[in-house]
Amino acid sequence: MSAARPHPSQPPPLRRDREGAVLGGVCAGLGQRLGIDPIVLRVVFIAATAAGGLGVVFYALLWAALPAEGESRAAGLRVPRVPGGRDSWSVAAGMGLLVLALLLLFRQWGLWVGDALVWPVVLAAAGGGLIWRQSATAADPAPPADEPARADRGSALGRAALGVALVVGAALIFLYFNDALRPARDVLLPVVVVLVAGTLILAPWWIRLVRGLADERAERVRSQERAELAAHLHDSVLQTLALMQRRADDPREVAGLARRQERELRAWLNGGRPFGERGTLAAALEVAAAEVEESHGVAVDVVTVGDCPLDADGEALVAAAREAAVNAAKFGGPEPVSVYAEIGDDRVEVFVRDRGPGFDPAAVPPDRRGVRESIVGRMRRHGGEAVLHTGAGAGTEVELRLERGR
Amino acid sequence: MSRRGFDPASLVAGFAVSGLGVVLLLDQVDALELSFGYLAPALLAVVGSILVAVGLTGPR
Repeated sequence: MSAARPHPSQPPPLRRDREGAVLGGVCAGLGQRLGIDPIVLRVVFIAATAAGGLGVVFYALLWAALPAEGESRAAGLRVPRVPGGRDSWSVAAGMGLLVLALLLLFRQWGLWVGDALVWPVVLAAAGGGLIWRQSATAADPAPPADEPARADRGSALGRAALGVALVVGAALIFLYFNDALRPARDVLLPVVVVLVAGTLILAPWWIRLVRGLADERAERVRSQERAELAAHLHDSVLQTLALMQRRADDPREVAGLARRQERELRAWLNGGRPFGERGTLAAALEVAAAEVEESHGVAVDVVTVGDCPLDADGEALVAAAREAAVNAAKFGGPEPVSVYAEIGDDRVEVFVRDRGPGFDPAAVPPDRRGVRESIVGRMRRHGGEAVLHTGAGAGTEVELRLERGR
Repeated sequence: MSRRGFDPASLVAGFAVSGLGVVLLLDQVDALELSFGYLAPALLAVVGSILVAVGLTGPR
């Protein structure tokens, strides 16, 4: 339904914007809705809080009333860009005057915690807002095209300097009101306040630096992954494609190459295990199937469920399955041979099936030892079992069972 | 003669200044006692609201 998404010309609905949130996203959401820089609103809330705690009450009410929108705070303290064309300085100045009027009114009514605290907090909030705004603007990677190329560096520096001056002035006023400027009397308070002010000033740049490093690291990882993928494609797929072009006159060879490449790709996609390693039972079965496929020119489809390390019994099972696949490829016709392996904690079962004409086991001459010794006898010697399901015209299925953990 | 469109900023400014005028008038006729402690916030609020209205409804 398109009703949920407002028209681009309409203002967004009033919601908490968690993507640009510092606390709960109230100021960010209000700023988006009203087209006001959220930092201005944050300064207003801080000032109202310092005056009589009203800011906290309003913020809590709005936080509870407004539904959240957007993703989690992955974007951190990103400040959304104010819609273009609006006179943000007029809005900021107007809001400042309104807050000042409110503060004076509270002071007149006696809702006041003292000049020593309120005015420094208001000044520090305004200065901090300017610094945050400046930092966010500088961190914006894609300024709009209609902005001047130099982004008015002089004005930006002026804003940053004004913000720093406000914060430092607020700290000094606070120290003065608290009679802490006399060094002999109290050294600790000025140090703490200066440290707090310094943190307030440097925090945006520090956060931007950390975020920039994280972005750079992520980009480097992506670049390495792309390079690794490209190298793998070059070493495997492209080489195979070139080989297939040269062997285009031999369809059987081309099919074999394609299937081998498919196996390698699947193995790589399913966990990065290189094709050809025989460390596990499933891998050994795949290798055996590939060998049969290459030597007899019949497709062998392998499906495995589960896996386990390859031991001596597993080797025997793989050898028996390979022998069954060889028989299926030799006598089962051109149809693909199916190998299905289910590897559990207690038991391993492998089914090798073809869709050939089938045969009568009793009619096999005694000197043919393929099924009798290489499959049935081998499985029995390793504590397993081999069962043949076959019949004239019904194909052949060799069922291999092996208990694990004996 | 072309007709100008609706301007919310002008409306806000008009209301704010009119309200201030009414308050001053009431003070003049002694209907209320307006001290500097209340006059200063009122003036600031008027100017601030006009600036906000102009900033919010200015040309895009």
